[in-house]
Amino acid sequence: MSATILIVDDSATMRALVRRALEADAHAVVEAAHGGAALAALGSTTVDLVITDVLMPEMDGLALTRRLRDDARFRSLPILVLTTEATPAVKERGRAAGATGWIVKPFHPDTLRRTVQQALAERA
Amino acid sequence: MIHPTEILLHVGGVHASAEPVVIKTLLGSCVAVCLWDPRVLVGGMNHFLLPEGGPNGPQDEATRFGVHAMDRLVGEMLKLGASPARFVVKVFGGASVLAMPGPAAAVPHKNLEFVRGYLAREGLRVAATSVGGTLPRQIQFFTASGKVLVRRLVTPRAQARLAEEEAAQRRARARFGDVTFFRGGRA
Repeated sequence: MSATILIVDDSATMRALVRRALEADAHAVVEAAHGGAALAALGSTTVDLVITDVLMPEMDGLALTRRLRDDARFRSLPILVLTTEATPAVKERGRAAGATGWIVKPFHPDTLRRTVQQALAERA
Repeated sequence: MIHPTEILLHVGGVHASAEPVVIKTLLGSCVAVCLWDPRVLVGGMNHFLLPEGGPNGPQDEATRFGVHAMDRLVGEMLKLGASPARFVVKVFGGASVLAMPGPAAAVPHKNLEFVRGYLAREGLRVAATSVGGTLPRQIQFFTASGKVLVRRLVTPRAQARLAEEEAAQRRARARFGDVTFFRGGRA
């Protein structure tokens, strides 16, 4: 199942790494450098799934997740958090914000691809 | 004079601090990047072994590797209120210590090539470097002032020990993060 996926990460290098993994499964990839840019991208492009970093200079990934869940259009959009943050307390904040899943960096490309497929398959 | 706390960084390590500390590390072919935000006086350093892709091929990526080491360092700096727009960037290491066998010989060069490419892609300008050559370096980064002291290790024993340690690290398997699915939706 190929899909259109929005990658939100302040690092161009990390976006390229994620893009490379996803394009191997023939997904189309849209990029944004922070939460604000992601909201703008979602206003003009229909995406099937969002992968977001947490720590970003402008609107962070959890604030972005909350904004999307407050918008009826994005209530069931799968949102995967991809972050170096690994403590149970931060993960709990991710769950409370409405994230679908949490992937801890460093990620294995195959794990990322499998997790994306699972999130797409379980989509409401 | 009050001596600030010293933190010793090993391969794969990342440390950032808003307190005045000295972050120390020992580099052979490895690379360490120091980031400093002069406005909020936050400084951080990483220490990585390989640019990306380990002994098990290009799929074998982990914190020890440059991309993730840089990602973690920038993340830790952001958490402490630093801003990438103000980063003062210094790069150290990438020495060809002793005779490195086979493909390992290319590691120092690859590390430096990676870090230059990474910093250019992220729009980060390098303020100072001490890279290349054949001698290992001891680095001391003072997070209060952003200053870095570099000392070259000239004794053959210290060089041999460091080269062996780095070779062992290169052979080690990469560790990856885990995945959690949240069931039951938003709290």
